[in-house]
Amino acid sequence: MAELLKVTNVSKHFGGLTAVNDVSFSINEGETVGLMGPNGAGKTTLVNMICGSYSADSGKIEFMGKDITRLPPWKRCKLGICRTYQIPRPFPELTAMGSVVVSALHGKDRPNRSFEDAYTEATLYLEFVGLFSKRNVLARDLTLFEMRGLELARALATEPKLIFVDEVMAGLNPAEAEKAVRLIERAKDQFGVTVLWIEHVMAVLMRAAHRVIVLHYGEKIAEGLPQEVANNPMVIESYLGKS
Amino acid sequence: MNLFDWGLVPSIIAMLVIQAGIAIAIYKGLIVRYMKQEEIIMLGLLFVAIILEQAALRFYPIQAGVYLETTMVPGLSKIGQVTVSNQLIFAAILGIVVTGLFVLFFLKTKLGLAVRAVSYDINSSRLMGIQVERVFMFIMVLVLIPVILATLAIAPIWAVEPSMGWGYMIIAILVSVLGGLGNIKGTIIASYIIGFCHSVVGFVIAQPQFTGLSALIVVLIVLIVRPQGIAKSETVW
Amino acid sequence: MEFEVKRDRLVLRAGGGKWEWHIEPRYWRNPLIYIGILIIAPLVVYFVYRPLLPTIIEANVLAAIAIPLALMTIGTGRLNFGPQFYIGIGGYAAALLSIHYHLSPGLTLLAAALGGLLFGFIMSPISIIAGGLYYSLLTLLFPLLFLEITFIYTDLFKGDTGLAGIAPLVSVGSFSLNLLIYAFISLAMMLIYLFIIDKVLRSRYAVQMAAINDDEEVANSIGVNVNKVKIVSFTIAAMMIAVIGWFYAHYYGTFSGQTFLPLSFMLKIFMVTMIGGRMQIYGCVLGGYFIAFLELILIRTTGDMSSLLLPIILLILLIVLREGLLGLYRKRRYREYLPTLHVRR
Repeated sequence: MAELLKVTNVSKHFGGLTAVNDVSFSINEGETVGLMGPNGAGKTTLVNMICGSYSADSGKIEFMGKDITRLPPWKRCKLGICRTYQIPRPFPELTAMGSVVVSALHGKDRPNRSFEDAYTEATLYLEFVGLFSKRNVLARDLTLFEMRGLELARALATEPKLIFVDEVMAGLNPAEAEKAVRLIERAKDQFGVTVLWIEHVMAVLMRAAHRVIVLHYGEKIAEGLPQEVANNPMVIESYLGKS
Repeated sequence: MNLFDWGLVPSIIAMLVIQAGIAIAIYKGLIVRYMKQEEIIMLGLLFVAIILEQAALRFYPIQAGVYLETTMVPGLSKIGQVTVSNQLIFAAILGIVVTGLFVLFFLKTKLGLAVRAVSYDINSSRLMGIQVERVFMFIMVLVLIPVILATLAIAPIWAVEPSMGWGYMIIAILVSVLGGLGNIKGTIIASYIIGFCHSVVGFVIAQPQFTGLSALIVVLIVLIVRPQGIAKSETVW
Repeated sequence: MEFEVKRDRLVLRAGGGKWEWHIEPRYWRNPLIYIGILIIAPLVVYFVYRPLLPTIIEANVLAAIAIPLALMTIGTGRLNFGPQFYIGIGGYAAALLSIHYHLSPGLTLLAAALGGLLFGFIMSPISIIAGGLYYSLLTLLFPLLFLEITFIYTDLFKGDTGLAGIAPLVSVGSFSLNLLIYAFISLAMMLIYLFIIDKVLRSRYAVQMAAINDDEEVANSIGVNVNKVKIVSFTIAAMMIAVIGWFYAHYYGTFSGQTFLPLSFMLKIFMVTMIGGRMQIYGCVLGGYFIAFLELILIRTTGDMSSLLLPIILLILLIVLREGLLGLYRKRRYREYLPTLHVRR
């Protein structure tokens, strides 16, 4: 399996606060990797750095062998990295269809694709997440679960190789959570993306992830199979506290 | 003042009252309705400025000119090699005193604390029991005071005319953009920077007509380096 | 590069990209009627009551300034409070070249367009660096400082009185026939701008701009090159506005910064955009005619007081009509989505 993403010794400081401290890991193609850690551990900052919203203070990020540490976010997207947001950030004034059309048009450079063709592709992704009937609804009028689905559709429409899924479960009831997990698994099968899944809910990662990385106070404290990590004393201490 | 033949002090008080009235009218008519749509507020305020200027033109045409006898400190004095009018020195000292009073107000008083809280987050302030509408109205009137004082102090030196506002607006905009909009610490620093810039261009380089342009260049350079201006955060202090 | 004509669309393939335009004659009826009215109006006025011709020219020109301003606003996501800066650039370029070098109006048009392009390009980074309110305040300042420059270099720009003796665009002998031709030229400019910008605002670029308007960071992360969109829309809009400055210079024969650069003109332009619904381009046409005729009526009826009454009336209109005049009509009929504008902090 080819190595897709390689992160070497990245750090990020905000003033005096170190959000991410010297983290290294790599992701291979086709894997599902989970990223865990208590709140404030630096998971979202790490993802922001890889996607380009923040620039890393030090370290190197390589994607498919290419050094992307200094690339702007939109170029990284064209290479094949995309993310969803923990608190959904839809385009409030655009319809659901419009949001997906934007990413379909601009996510990946493909020749001979006009505006109309992008509409057709957007239909495919909307139908995949089950929002086709709501395609003309303004994005801000959707329910939370539908907004998460829209985020996923929007990310998938850029035809990524690697997709970061940021806390999909937060705020969903068990039925919706089950649907969300199955949606992401289907996305993996159908579109062949590699998934980095940031999540708090252990059960999901147990079931879906091949490998889990745990962050605590910005540092990587554990990495390995979900079973191993779940039994790791340091991980238990970071989540439950010292006994 | 000429219209009603009042003395100096009553007309100043009347002017304060009228201006406060106009400020509150602007607030209730324009700002409250379009809080979320700032572009309409800006357009409306610019309209008000033009209307007031045109109204002033009706009563005081430029040819006649107005000369306010408000010289509070007559005479000249010498500082080193330079002769300066006492009124200007008085104006400078007044400026520093008023700024100091403002800073004290925001730091030490309860109302100042309320203003700072509102500048951070309106909804949380409401939850804490601050009457946000009253605070806004108070601020609208409060900001008139330094402007009026400054105008009164400067008026005897530079004549009063209806279009005098635009020059000050240019300076005010440059200072507040440089200092970070709405942040007092940044604005104080920025005002000194721009003041020195004006003096250097006006007296040292001796090209006084370029003062506005040079201030703009300074602001643009600082903005390129630090897009939010000198301020550290988008709050009052 | 190939161009195909299919049954219901035109397809252009060039350089790896593909652009399609649907041809739907059933939607052409209304626009053709309105364009017909706009074309017949100057003719009617010419035969019935000639003094209205300058007002029609003014209305067309105001609309032609407001339409690129809408493009600039939607493309950069911020409100530019100093569009008249580019009118100054275009007008002075045309005026100076015409007076000192005796260039023909065609060449000065080229110069004005190039000047607008150049200055637009130089100033476009401000839309990237400065956020919403800062950007509005800074762009507010630029025309005023340009005005100061024209006063500083008075021998070049003739500060107060302005430059005079600019060659006219047309002179066929009769004064009112000249005006009629000017009216058609201004109408043609406005319609060309309207057509181009309408097509842009219905294309993929509009969806890009809408995404940027809504959430810049997210748009960046799904592959939209935000900076390029801002720079391109700013520069092209600046060029279009500079061409209007060229028109003013040749139409009036004189050009003075004092007329076009101060705030009163800017507020007129903004009311043109606001009256037809906030930044809707069809509304700009309506707004242009409304403001031009309002000004005419005020000057005819109140004479001297019009410079005081006009801002008052415009302020009242601004406060009372949330969606502009066209909004009163739009509330009854749903219109297609066009990107909206936000001014953020």
